[in-house]
This record gives sequence, structure tokens and C-alpha cells, in this order.
Amino acid sequence: MRKAFVAVACFALLAVAAFGQGVIKLGANWPLADVSGLECSKAAQLAVDEINKAGGVLGKQLQLVVVDDEGKGDKGVAAIEKLVTVDKVDVLLGGIASGVAVAQVPTLKKYQMVTVATGAAASASVEKALGPSPGSDWYFHLHPWDYDQGQSYYEGWDAIQKKYPNVVIRRIFLAYEEGAFGKSSFDASKALFGSRYTFDGASFKSALQGGSDYSSVLEAAKDFNPDLFIWAGYAQDALPLLEQSKAMKFSPPIYLGAPPAWPVDMGKSPLAEDIMLYGMWAPSINDISPASRKFYDAYVAATGSAPTSYFAALSYSAVYIIADAVKRAGGTDAARLIPALEKTRYVSPLGQTITFTPSNIIKHQGIKNQKILQWQDGRQEVIWPFEVQSRALVYPLPPWK
Amino acid sequence: MTFAVRRFLPVAVIAVAVLFPLVSGPYPLAVAQSILIYMALAVSWDMLLRSGQISFGIAGFFGIGAYAAAITTLTVRASPIISILLAGACSAGVAFLLGFVILRLRKVYFAITTLALAEIFRVIVHNWGDFTGGPEGLVLPSLIFKGDSRALFWISLGGVLLACGLSALFQRSRLRFALTAIRNNEVSARSSGIDIFKYLMIVFVTSSFIQGIVGGIQVQLYGYASPDSVFDANYTLLPLAMALLGGIYSTPGPVLGAVLLGVAAEYLKLKIPYGHLVVYGIIIVLVILLLPDGLYGQYRRSVRDRARMARGGTAHA
Amino acid sequence: MRIVVTRPRVGPGRMWQVVLWTALAAAGTAAVLLWKPTALVYGVQRAGLYAAVAIPMALVLGIVHIVNLAHGELMMVAAYLAYFAARLLGLDPFVALVPVALVMAVLGLALYQVTIRHSLKAPELNQLILTFGLGIALSQMVNLLFTSQSWKLSLDYVSASATVGNISFGVFDFVYAGAAIALALGLRLFLTRTRLGKAALAVGQNPRGAAIVGIDVGRTYAFVFALAVGLIGAVGSIFLAKQAIFPLVGGPYTMKSFCLVAMAGVGNIVGILYCSLALGLSESIINSIRGYAGWSNVVFFAIIIVTILVRSFRERKA
Repeated sequence: MRKAFVAVACFALLAVAAFGQGVIKLGANWPLADVSGLECSKAAQLAVDEINKAGGVLGKQLQLVVVDDEGKGDKGVAAIEKLVTVDKVDVLLGGIASGVAVAQVPTLKKYQMVTVATGAAASASVEKALGPSPGSDWYFHLHPWDYDQGQSYYEGWDAIQKKYPNVVIRRIFLAYEEGAFGKSSFDASKALFGSRYTFDGASFKSALQGGSDYSSVLEAAKDFNPDLFIWAGYAQDALPLLEQSKAMKFSPPIYLGAPPAWPVDMGKSPLAEDIMLYGMWAPSINDISPASRKFYDAYVAATGSAPTSYFAALSYSAVYIIADAVKRAGGTDAARLIPALEKTRYVSPLGQTITFTPSNIIKHQGIKNQKILQWQDGRQEVIWPFEVQSRALVYPLPPWK
Repeated sequence: MTFAVRRFLPVAVIAVAVLFPLVSGPYPLAVAQSILIYMALAVSWDMLLRSGQISFGIAGFFGIGAYAAAITTLTVRASPIISILLAGACSAGVAFLLGFVILRLRKVYFAITTLALAEIFRVIVHNWGDFTGGPEGLVLPSLIFKGDSRALFWISLGGVLLACGLSALFQRSRLRFALTAIRNNEVSARSSGIDIFKYLMIVFVTSSFIQGIVGGIQVQLYGYASPDSVFDANYTLLPLAMALLGGIYSTPGPVLGAVLLGVAAEYLKLKIPYGHLVVYGIIIVLVILLLPDGLYGQYRRSVRDRARMARGGTAHA
Repeated sequence: MRIVVTRPRVGPGRMWQVVLWTALAAAGTAAVLLWKPTALVYGVQRAGLYAAVAIPMALVLGIVHIVNLAHGELMMVAAYLAYFAARLLGLDPFVALVPVALVMAVLGLALYQVTIRHSLKAPELNQLILTFGLGIALSQMVNLLFTSQSWKLSLDYVSASATVGNISFGVFDFVYAGAAIALALGLRLFLTRTRLGKAALAVGQNPRGAAIVGIDVGRTYAFVFALAVGLIGAVGSIFLAKQAIFPLVGGPYTMKSFCLVAMAGVGNIVGILYCSLALGLSESIINSIRGYAGWSNVVFFAIIIVTILVRSFRERKA
């Protein structure tokens, strides 16, 4: 009797030990040389550490493996191959650039591993390559597509004009950088806004690619006399555009920038005051969303600096979404994990609850709506959606200081 | 190295390369296929260099090939292999036409002209949206050979074997002496009766043909082409560095250089996630300083010196 | 490859050419002024930026015969130094210009002594790849230290504007044109009037002959390289005033400088002013045509190719 008891006890101990030894591996790829990719990696690791400290998932610890995709398609493909075949991860996540994502799609399709994407906005290439359900059901796209963003802004401006009757928009001018990002922004915006507004635009060479002169595009904008002037470029263009606009005495009623991130010193510049922007997250959301406050404080404590764009919050959300779904699914095999992910309702640091609904082609699209914000006193304040609005809109743009 | 070993070595290397996919997983194959692309470009660049002409336009012909393959695959449903051959033909054709005008240039002026042409090609592809898909690029419906890792490796290897084969052919034929003569002293070459323009054109077209083929292979490997991705300056500068680090004016040199830089890049990235490119840059500087003739060039030089010493002379002539 | 710092003597046969070109230029200027006057203004400003960045590269290429592919990266490093001077010491970029240039000259000298000097006996391509490696190491080091984020100063005077009629335009960018002219004239004076400069010219034209005459070629190379890096450092400091800086900001400028130097003819420093004017104006004019802005790059490079080809045709005939 004693011997049997000892044997069973040993077995039980071994079983518990074996089960506890288990690790759930998350495989991520981001461009680590880019500050946004770097922040994604840190934010994801922060989420993993938090979850592990709270006991892990299903008794197992999470492990994050990050491979640098260097912003290049071929390196991105090699990264996926390494994560799947060498590191043998259970779930994939990550990505920022559409150019890398589209190169990875064929390889991802080969393995059909559950993938939670934190980047890729170009629908004309990436979503088209993914194809419709059920061929792409393993793909859960957190980041909004370019048309999602356009649609969101269309609704946003509609709502803003209704709430603030003195804001009247009839003519919109979009200055777009000549690359894929700018061009797709222009095409998406033209399609959506062209019907109701008088819409025009012109391209410029971004300072990221060595351009330095916005005179022609600003002159075209000035001639057009828009009520809403938008520029779609990169952080490097933000202040030079404003400086040149001031020199040319171009000041539309609304001056809006739509870069993926802003320069470090933007808040300090007097030119930034009352400039509007498109975005997904800003520190001002801390005042409205406890989830954002928790993420922000933890991120600053762990890394010593604040996140510079929304990508960090998005990656953090990706890890939590995966962990929560694995818990509900009881494991990581795709057959159970996909239905569990479909039921996601995650209160994210972005100030919205993330769920997955169909988009134009794929079935699992996460975030669809963006936010419209405004620089006030050196801080990005949310103007719309009104549920997370942090300050009132200042309109029109006051004269240049 | 004995004569027999020297004859046998290339065959052995090719055999190892062909058998490589049978013992490797998809990840080493993915890394290797990328290295093979650069390797073929490095060899093609060296072929033109042997005539004394420095080209900074590799990315231009590479990009033309990539887009030719992508467009023929999408519009006329050409099979992948046919599209790759068409890509080579397209680049070769463009090189042939341009050659009449630009092959009279020498040295830095030829280099800048090829650089400028590559940039012009990029802008044309970028702006001619209706035909080329514009800045967002073109997406192919599927990869060659359904994306099987081994098959992708073999087709990339095919590109390298084509480049090396042509390179070795040029080295063994009369072309080598003509090109070396042109490189060393054009005036005496011309007075020896060498038609400089004809030989330059042959090398230029062949080199561009290889670059076009490789561009076509690239687009079939990844199923995607965009102006910024295929006309990237790295497709010009990295093969240059590889050829120089490996040893110019040879076929094994660029091959060795590509292996060195390609493997180093991936290895450093895994070992030093942050800052691996700093080490990469320093490696380039160190190798070029310590081995000015490149890896293969240094080896050749030491063989020659040893032979000279054996005959009772001094190491340096 | 001769350094040309004086204008060729104009004989009676060429008088008509000069008159013709001047008349064409005047007519062209008048046409542009009538159609889009700001194109002229911005064209000159762009030309100034291109020329200012390219002239130090021409110095190195003409005398030391090295294509410095780390040229843009050195400008970037200087801009970062100037940024810190502004943020930590409160120095305006134009005030920090001199100390930054000096620091960069020392850095350039150090780089030369440690790396380039040892590869001078090797073929020119080796030095090209060496500087390529240096450029990667420099930009990635800065990326590692300061991330890829974009940094920018906010200076009031960069938005300075002038108004003519009902057209307002920025005037700060004329600083670049001023810098370019100052660089070109200053170098011309230095290379033709001072002993050190004349020695440098001699070394550039014929290193062996210069050595025979007793000029220390190695020291001259080191000095010229350090001077060029110092000059690009000064340009980098001015660059910071208006542009956003980030680790890869230098790359496009290296390529454009290389093209400009080749277009002007290697060694022709004053020629760079004229060529950059042609390029800057053509870019500006094309940019002003609605819908065709994307083609300005094609025009830029086409003009370069045509100039190089025309010059080669002319040389063959001679």
C-alpha cells in the first residue's frame, strides 16, 4: 500500500513538474533598428513579464522570441522561417511595414500558424495577398487598413462638424509623400472624401528620402484655399512643413498632420500649437483610460522613457489578446485558438475595446477606427471619438507665432 | 594545391551546394537564397569590372528584370521560368540600347551615369502607375514552385551557376585577354587591333542580362515588387562590397565575398540584436584594410609568392 | 584630373558663345519670373544646399582621389553635434558652426590616419568600399545611441519670409547659397593663393611630381581630408537649423553630391556652383508644374547624364 502511494505521489509530482515546465512561445518580428520596432519589442516583453509574474497562462510561462526583420522583405521571410522551424514558436505576432508583410504572406500561408499582426496598413498589397476567408482565417490583423483609417476620419470629421457648428469643411487638400504610404493615403482619402467634399492633393518628396522643399506642394495648397489641409508624410516633415508654411504665410483653418510618429521636440515648438493630427494613441489617453495609464506607467518604469508612437501600445495589446485567448482555448493549437480569438473583447490601452470583425477581404480585423487629436500646450489631446475626448477643439488655427 | 584538386574543387563545391537543401531546414535555406541573389549580382558586377568599367547601376537592371518578370506574370500569365528569361532579355535589351550611348564614358563618369540611369528607371516605374502599379508595387498570385523552400534555393542557385558559368567562360576565352588589355591600357589595346566597343558591349550586355535574370528570380522568390524594394541602393552597394572583399577580377572572389558578408550579417544579427550593423560596417573596413586584394586575391597572391620563393626568387616581384 | 579654380580665358571666337548663353539665361530667367517667380527663388535655394554639401566632397575627390561614401554620414554626425551644442549649451547652430567644424576636422583626421591612409596604395575601389563601411558604422552607431527618432530644433528665424506683391516665400534657405558661394570662393583663394593650398593642388594633379619637388604628400592628403570633413561639419551645423536630423539623413545627400561632382567634372569646384544652379532650377520648375512633380528626379538625373555625355563627345573631338 505504502509503495503504491509513493509511486502515485512520484507520478503526480513528475506530472506537475512536466506540465509546469511547459512554455508557451510567442514569435515576433519587428524592425529593431527603427525606434517604433524597438518599442514594440520592449512593450511586448513588458506584457510577457507582467503575465508571467501573475502566474503565466494555463500554468505555463510565456516566452517571447523576437527576430529583427530589418525592414526588408527577404529578411522578414527568413525571420518567419526561423521562428517557426528553429525556435518552434506557438503563435506569431508583430510586423510594422507593409512591404515586409506582403513578402511574408506566402511563407505565413505555408504554415498557417495563428498570427496577430501589429502593422501593415496597405490593403492593396497585403490584404489582397492574404485573400478571403477561410484561407486567411489564421491571420488576425490588429492594425487598421488604409481604407479603415480613411473611413474613420470621414466619420470623425462628420461628427466634429456636427458637434462644433462653427467648423465648416468644404474643401480638403492632401499633401502626400510620393512613396507607397503617401500614395495609398491619397487614394483612400480621395475615394472616401471625394464624393462629399472638394478634394485635391499634390505629392512631395519626404525628408526621410532626402527631400527638403515643400514649396510647390504648399503653393498648390495655398492656391486651392482649403478648409482642411492634411499632410501625409513622416516625422521628419512635420516641423519643416510648418516652418515653410509660416514663411509662405499659408494658414488654413485646420492644419492636420498624419505621420506614423512625430519628432521628439514637437511639443516644444511654438509652431505645433493647435496643429491637428491623426493617430491611434497619445499619452493624454492616460487621463481617460485606466488601461492606458497602467500600460504607460509600467512602460516608463520598465524602459525609462515614454513610448513615441502607438505601436508600443498595439504590441502590448497583441500579447495580452493572445494570452487571453490561449487561456480560453485551453491550448495553442489553431483549431481551438482561432475560435477563442474570435471572441476577444480586450480593453486596450488605446482607449478602445478590441474585437475582431470582418473587413473588406479578411475575416479577422481588429481596430478599424482611428482618432483625431490636436496639439495643445505641447501635448497631443484627443478630440474625437468623443468618448475619449480629453480637451475641447481649438478652431480655427490661430495666426503663426 | 595540386592540379587535380584544383580541377575537382569547383565540382565539389557545386555538388555541396546542390545537396545543401537536402540537409537543411527552411530557415538556413531562406537565408541562403537571399545570399545567392547577392552573389550572382556580385559576380555579374565583377565581369564588367574586368573591362575597367565600374558600374553603379546594378539595382537598375535588377529592378528592370524584376518588373519585367512581375508584369509578364500578371498580364500575359507567363510561366515563372519564362518570365525570368524574359526579365533577362529585357535588361539585356535595355543595356544594349544604352550601351551605344554610354559605353564611351570611362571611370567615375560611367559609374555616375549608371547610377543616374538606375534612379531614372526607378522613378519611371514609380510614376507609370497604370503599367507598373506605382509606388505600392505589384503582388504576384503565387511563388515559383509553390514556394517550396528547396525549390526556391535551387532556382537561386541556378542564377548563381549561370553567372559563374558565364564568368568562368569569359575568363577562359579570348575575351579575358581583350578585357584585361582594355582595362590596363586602352591605347595599346586599340593599337593591337582590339575593337574596344565590341568587347565592352559584350560584357555590358551579359552583365546586365545576369542582373535581369536575378531580378526575375527575386520577384518569383518573394512574389512582390515595388520601386523602393527592387531599385534599392543595397543591390548596388552590397554586391560591390562582396566582390571587393572576396577578391575582384575572379569568379571565386565575389562568391567568397558574398558568403562572408551574407553569413556575417545574419549571424551578427542573431548574436548582437542591437548594433550588429555597426560591427558589420567595421568588418567591411577591417577586411578591406587587412586584405586589400580580398580573400581570394590574398590567397592567389600567397600561392604566387610561394611558387616564386620555391623557384629561388623573392616573394615580391 | 585637374582642379580648375580659375575661369578659362575667353578668346574672340568664344565671345559669341558667352553672349548666346547669357542671353538664353536671361530670357529663361525672365520667362520663369513671369510664370512662377517663386520657382526661381526656391531653385536658387535648393541649388545652394546641393552645392554646399557637394563642394567638400569635390575637394576630397579632386585632391586625395577618394570617393567618400561616408560623406553624408559625416554631415549627419556634425548635425548631431550641433544639436547637442544647442540643447545642452544653448548655442545657436550658426554660433556652434566653428567649434563643430573643428571637432569634425579632428574626427576626420583621426578617421584618415586610422583607416584611409593605410589603403591609399590599394586601388580606388578599395577606398570606396572602405568609406562605405565607415558610413554604415557611423550611421548605425548614431542609431544605436540615439534611436532612429527624428530630432529638430525650433528656431524662429528659419521661418523668415519676404513678401513681393502678394507672394510670400521663405528666405532662410538663401543661407545655403551663401554658404556654397563662400565655400567655393574661399577654397579657390586658398588653393591658388596660399602655399598650403598650392601644394595641395600640386599633389592633386601629380602626386609623384609633387613628392619629387619636396611636398609631403601624406601630410597634404591628411590635411585636405581633415579640411573637407571640417567643412562638411560646418555645413552640417547649418543643416541642423532647418532640417530634421536622424541617423540615415545623410544617405541621399551623398549620392546627390557624388552626381553633382561628376557632372561638374572632377576637380571643378566653381563648376559645381553652375551645375547645382542648373539642377536646382530645373527641379524647382518641374516641381511647380502640377501633376508632374514626381518627374523632377528624372529631369535631375537626365541633365547630369546629358552633361556628362556632351562633355565626353567634346573631349573625343578635341
